[in-house]
Amino acid sequence: MELADKAVGFLLTTISLSIFSYYTFWVLILPFVDSDHFIHMYFLSREYAIIIPLFAGITLLCFLSMFIGYVMLKSKKKSA
Amino acid sequence: MKHIVKILGLLVTISAIWIGLLQASIVSSSYAWLLPVYLIILLGCYGLFMVGVGLMFFPTCPQESHLLQKDIAEAKDFLKRKGIDVNSD
Repeated sequence: MELADKAVGFLLTTISLSIFSYYTFWVLILPFVDSDHFIHMYFLSREYAIIIPLFAGITLLCFLSMFIGYVMLKSKKKSA
Repeated sequence: MKHIVKILGLLVTISAIWIGLLQASIVSSSYAWLLPVYLIILLGCYGLFMVGVGLMFFPTCPQESHLLQKDIAEAKDFLKRKGIDVNSD
């Protein structure tokens, strides 16, 4: 049981570190690199740096509200 | 109350720095506009990281768990003898 917890914790840590490094590189460092450097091939164009987090945030909000609504409906049905 | 004041103060400082950066044009304008988004994502990343680290290094106490189970069994036995039904559902 603890091993599953440790595995999930490790997965979360790696996900957060990778997102942090990729996004830092994308937003903070890439503007100062010459535009014909090879590293630009590995990163999308910079408009996506705003669209993707915005989309993810909106998806998260939708999912949260759907979950809350579902739980509220289920509890109301049980008590009625 | 003091906690809210602290958080608001932090927010005001950060926005002042950001507006100063926009006005002084040390870095290009499009660059400064991306900074608040970056800070929010940084905050989310930090939260996720703390959760992951806490999960990884959470101490489980097997001896205490064993003692606790023994205590639970003893309490259930005692109450059953007194006539109270404590079957967990």
